[in-house]
Amino acid sequence: MEEIVNVEAVSRSFPLDTSSAHHPSQSFVRALSHTTLRVTAGEFLAISGPSGSGKTTLLNLIGCIDRPTTGRILVDGVDTSTLKPKGMSSLRREKIGFVFQTFNLIPVFTAAENVEYPLLIQGVSSSERRQRVVEALESVGLSARANQRPDLLSGGERQRVAVARAIVHRPALVLADEPTANLDTHNATQLIDLMHGLNRRLGLTFIFSTHDARLLEHTERIVRLCDGEVISDQLQGGSRG
Amino acid sequence: MAKFLLLAFRNVFRNRRRTMMTLFMVGGGVAGLLLVGGFFSFMFWGLRESTINGGLGHLQVFSADHFNRDEVRVLDTGIDNWRQVAATLKTGSHVRGVAPRIDFYGMVSNGDKSSVFMGSAVDPAAENSLGFTTRFASGNDLDSKPGGEVEALIGTGLAKSMNVKVGDGLTLLAMTSDGALNGVDVQIVGIVHSGIAEMDARSLRITLPAAQRLLQSDRVTNLVVGLDNTDNTDMVATELTPRLLNLPQKLVLKKWIELATYYKQVRSLFSMIFIFLGVIVFFMVLMSSVNTLLMTMFERTREIGTMLAMGTPGAWIVALFMLEATLIGILGAAVGLVAGNLLGFLLNHSGIHLPPPPGNTVPMPFKVLHVPSLMIGSSLLVIVSLALASILPAIRASRLRIAEALSHV
Repeated sequence: MEEIVNVEAVSRSFPLDTSSAHHPSQSFVRALSHTTLRVTAGEFLAISGPSGSGKTTLLNLIGCIDRPTTGRILVDGVDTSTLKPKGMSSLRREKIGFVFQTFNLIPVFTAAENVEYPLLIQGVSSSERRQRVVEALESVGLSARANQRPDLLSGGERQRVAVARAIVHRPALVLADEPTANLDTHNATQLIDLMHGLNRRLGLTFIFSTHDARLLEHTERIVRLCDGEVISDQLQGGSRG
Repeated sequence: MAKFLLLAFRNVFRNRRRTMMTLFMVGGGVAGLLLVGGFFSFMFWGLRESTINGGLGHLQVFSADHFNRDEVRVLDTGIDNWRQVAATLKTGSHVRGVAPRIDFYGMVSNGDKSSVFMGSAVDPAAENSLGFTTRFASGNDLDSKPGGEVEALIGTGLAKSMNVKVGDGLTLLAMTSDGALNGVDVQIVGIVHSGIAEMDARSLRITLPAAQRLLQSDRVTNLVVGLDNTDNTDMVATELTPRLLNLPQKLVLKKWIELATYYKQVRSLFSMIFIFLGVIVFFMVLMSSVNTLLMTMFERTREIGTMLAMGTPGAWIVALFMLEATLIGILGAAVGLVAGNLLGFLLNHSGIHLPPPPGNTVPMPFKVLHVPSLMIGSSLLVIVSLALASILPAIRASRLRIAEALSHV
C-alpha cells in the first residue's frame, strides 16, 4: 500500500516563556519525543491519549501547521522539513483536509460557501466548484441545509459541513482534531459513521485525535500517546507494536 | 473574486454597531470636508463674482507701457485710439460690452480741507450695460449726458473726512499730461461704499469726458471687457490676443485673475486652511481605523488561523482586510456625501448670515456650494486613509502562527 504519512523520529519542544526565547537558561517543555509513525493510504487511524499527551501537536506537525524541533515528516512523499512557508501552505491547500473540534466554519458564509472555500483558494472554476459542493454536501447528507449559515445549524450539522469542507477538494489526507468532543452521543455516532463511510467508500485516509470511546470502537488502528511518546500502536483485533 | 468580495462585504456588517460607529466617523469626516469646502467655494465664488462685477470685469486691456507708468501723469502711457480698440474687443464671442476707464490720482478739497483721492473715470452707460454694481449709501449714479455740472460719486469714508453730503460741491486737482496742475469743480450726486473701508476712504468717480478735460487728454488708461460667463474668460482671451496684435499700439490683455490680488490672497489663505483640515481628517480616520481594524483582527484570530490552515495564501488575508477597510471607506464616503449635501441644502435654506469679514462692512450669507471635485476628493481621501489604516492589521493577520491562532479563545 502507498505510504501517505511517514513520521520519522520527530520531537517537538516549546519554550516555557516565549518572552525570553534566547535566554541561555531557557527551559523547554517537550510535547513530543522521538515519535515514529507510518500511515498508509486509506487508513482510518485514531491517535488517542490523555490531555497533554501530544495528540494535537502530532496532528499539527502532520498537517504542516507546525514544524518539528527534530526529525522529519513526509506527507504523500513530500519531505515537509524542506518546505518554505509558501510550500507548506500549498501542501495544506492541495493535499490535506482539516476538521476542527470547534468546527471553525466561516460564520458569514453559508454551508455551501464554507464547503466551496477550499476550491476557491485552489482556483477551481465556478462551474466545477458548484458541482463538487453539491456532491460533498450530498455525501454528508446536508443538501437541504446548503444555504443556511452556521449559526442556524446544529452542532452535528456544523461538524458535517466541516467534514464536507475537508473532503471537497479530494485531499490525500483528512486530519480531525477531537471531532466529536463538542457533540452529543447521537451526533457523535452519526459523525463517526459518516467519516467511516467516507473512508470506505472514497478510500480517504483519516487521522484523528480522540479519547472518545465511541469513536475508538469504530477505528481499525489506534495509536496511543502518553507524555509525548507512542506507548502502543494497535490494530483492532491485533497489535502492530 | 466575487466570492472574496462577498466575504469582505459580509465581514463588514458582522459587528453592526462597530461598523456603524466607523461609518459615522468616516462619514462625519467627509461631511465636514464637504461643508467647509463648500462654504469656502461659495466664498471664492462670491468674492470672484463681486470682484468682477464690482468693476474689475473679466478682461482688461492696457497699453504695453502701462505697468511702467508715472503714477501722476497716468495718461502718458494710456491707450491712444481706444474706440478702435474697443470695437476690436467687441468682435470677440461671449463679449457683452466694453467700458473705457481712466484710473487717476489727485487732490480733493472742500475749501477748508484737502485729501488725496483715487479717481476712476467711467462711462456710466457702458458700466451699467456690463452690470457693474455700485452700492449707494445715498444719492444716485452719474448722469452720462454731456453738459451741465461735473458730477461725482465719492466713497463713504472720503465723504466723512471731507464732511460733505449729496448736493455739496468739491474741487478736484490733478496733473495734466503736459505736467500742469488743472482743477475742476464737481457736485456730489452719490455716496458709495465698496465694502472695503480703505477703498471707501479714497475713492472718487467722475464721468470719462470730465476726466479727459481735467487731465487734458482723450486717452484712457484701460478698457474693461465684460463677458456673459466667467468660465469663458480663458477662451475669449485666447481669441482676442492675436486680434490686438494687429492694432498699431502695442497692447496687453490681462485676465481678471491676474489683476485680482486680494482674491488670490484670500483664496490662497483659505486653501491652506482647507488642506490643514484635510490632513486632520486623514489622520483622524487613519488612527481610529487602525484601532478598530486591530480589534477586528483580534476577534477573528481563530477564523484567520482556520483560513491559513486550509492553505489560504497570506496575500489573500492581506487583500481581504484591505478590501474590508476599503469597503468601509466607500460606504463611509457615501454616508458622508449624503449627509454633507443634505446639511448643505438645509444650511443654504436657513438664511444664516455671518458677521462681515475683516475690512468689509456687509454681512456675508452662509451658503455651501455642492462641488463635484470636492466630493470626489474628500471621498478618495477617506477611502485611501482606511486602506492605509488596514495595512498593519492585515499584515499581522497574515503572519499569525496557525497553531496558536487555532487555540485562540
